[in-house]
Amino acid sequence: MPPSEDLLKAVQTLDERSGYVFQISPDVVPGTNLFVVHTAEHPFRSDYTVAGGAFGFRVPANFPDAAPEDSFFILPTTVKLVRPDPVRNVVDLNRASVADGLVVGSVLGRVPVLMFSWHLWDRVPWNRRIHTLMDHYNHCIRRFEQPEHD
Amino acid sequence: MPDRKEKVVLPAAHRAEEIHLAMQRAVWSDLVVGLNAAAPNEACAFVLTRPSIGIVRHTAILGEIVWPREGEVEATPGKLEISADYISRALDVAAEAGPRVGLCLVHSHPDSEWGPGIAEFSRRDDWYEQRLFPTIVGSRPEALSASLVLNPKGEVDARVWWRETKGAATQKAQVLRIVGPELTVLETPASTWSDHADPTVMDRSTRLWGGEGRRRLQNLRVGIVGGGGTGSLVTFATATMGVGKLRIWDKDTGSKQNRNRTAGITKEFIDKPKVEALKALAETVATAEPFLVEIYQDWATTEQGLRQLRDCDIIFCCVDKFAPRVPLNDLAYAHLIPTLDMASWIHPDRDGNIDALMTHAHVWSPGIPCAWCRETLTSYRLTQEAQGEQRGAEKRIPYGLPLEAIDAVEPSVLPLNMLGVSLALMQFMQVALKITTRTPNDLKFILPEWELDESDRKAKSECDCVQTIGLGDTLPIRPVIME
Repeated sequence: MPPSEDLLKAVQTLDERSGYVFQISPDVVPGTNLFVVHTAEHPFRSDYTVAGGAFGFRVPANFPDAAPEDSFFILPTTVKLVRPDPVRNVVDLNRASVADGLVVGSVLGRVPVLMFSWHLWDRVPWNRRIHTLMDHYNHCIRRFEQPEHD
Repeated sequence: MPDRKEKVVLPAAHRAEEIHLAMQRAVWSDLVVGLNAAAPNEACAFVLTRPSIGIVRHTAILGEIVWPREGEVEATPGKLEISADYISRALDVAAEAGPRVGLCLVHSHPDSEWGPGIAEFSRRDDWYEQRLFPTIVGSRPEALSASLVLNPKGEVDARVWWRETKGAATQKAQVLRIVGPELTVLETPASTWSDHADPTVMDRSTRLWGGEGRRRLQNLRVGIVGGGGTGSLVTFATATMGVGKLRIWDKDTGSKQNRNRTAGITKEFIDKPKVEALKALAETVATAEPFLVEIYQDWATTEQGLRQLRDCDIIFCCVDKFAPRVPLNDLAYAHLIPTLDMASWIHPDRDGNIDALMTHAHVWSPGIPCAWCRETLTSYRLTQEAQGEQRGAEKRIPYGLPLEAIDAVEPSVLPLNMLGVSLALMQFMQVALKITTRTPNDLKFILPEWELDESDRKAKSECDCVQTIGLGDTLPIRPVIME
């Protein structure tokens, strides 16, 4: 099932407004009704061991009635903190874990990704008439500016 | 002014098999009060119209009223003179509302010294509109405009006007639908409705809802979206109780596993389209005469299905997923087609033991909070459904928990489905036949409490069920493909 016109247009707008080249998978991830939206080149935080890489999230076929998934992913999966987080005393990224099978069907291929949980839409619920992928992207980006602990 | 003997020939044309006007009850009430206040003088108002284009039915939906200002209309018991200023102002309001927004001229024929007001267009009305509507449809070429006349008894005559290549064209409307928590249908002189061919066979039911109710059931077109556990029971019940026209959608074929909870899937219909089984069932039990059942082996929420649904007067939403409820909910309010949603849930605890059962029936119609207000629909719930086998990925993976493949198939049993359908059928009698004074909000039967609960949630003022009522085809409704 190819993405709807609404979804293609939303990704195009995200592409134009974010300044990064986003693309959408041609089909949904098997077993789900989710498309993968990602950009291959996106900068990461300065305190990550890798300067940049792929960044993306998954969006339901019935977007914008359904919100994007409350999470995002990056690649490569080997990204760590340059220095240990002072609270947790580890170099692992907080609330991120490697997962397989999340981006199958996209040009990224059958690779594991580093998935972040981030309760993006808890404070302001997603509103299908107002919110855009750019709003979702902005929420994701806030993650890079937050402390590395809860 | 026409000569009394002069016959006015309107530019009659054929636009659709069925022509309706529709408006929400609040608009109708305002018009009746406002226009009747001028009696014994005639009175008029322009009302914005938006189209609802189905396959066999085109409907002009009346919305915002543009009342005349002081001096813009000159009225007597026998005639109206509408100023160019008023026409121009109304056209400006329509233009601001969008290219597909037209105008309906609504006027009254009050009782007067010459007798009771007659709800039919007079020769003078024909003469006047023949001159007025070329201007209106010329200015609003993408719109479906209309005119409506009403008398103090609440009887009506109506027609639509639109632009064709040669100029203005008109077609008589057969019905005016007034939609609030209940559906009122006013037939015009051009109505094609007919009573049951043998009313005596409907005697016991007619004793509850009267001859008018019998006539209404005989002529309403009822849509049934989904032919599974609930849809099959709705098919059986509506055909049995005398609904004259049914449309049923389902893309699936019947299987032996459906038979324990789906009416009509006899052994001979295994591996055949479910809708064929339901057609056979409906034709076997139908009591309306004539009776027509149309079936579509497809999902009703495709682009084409949503157009077919625009032909319906009332819809039963019998789907088992959240995603298709979105366009059906939107359609109910934007196109003024009351929709009865029903669903059952069987909830297991952490050990997989069933700890709660619930079934609900909810009318989606102006004046009643919608599925979004009720939070049957939330964007989060839709996202969760879209995750399918990876449900809850965002909650598990970042904490190092493995993904659990979920087949998302929930239990379903006939008694629970039948209870939900029965609640919806009670609501159907209320919406279609007004058997009592009030249409309930969402009704929910819950176990283990054995409790029938009515939702007390209010409509949210910013919600689409308040903001998009009657927007018709000017509101984009996204199809949902259920593959």
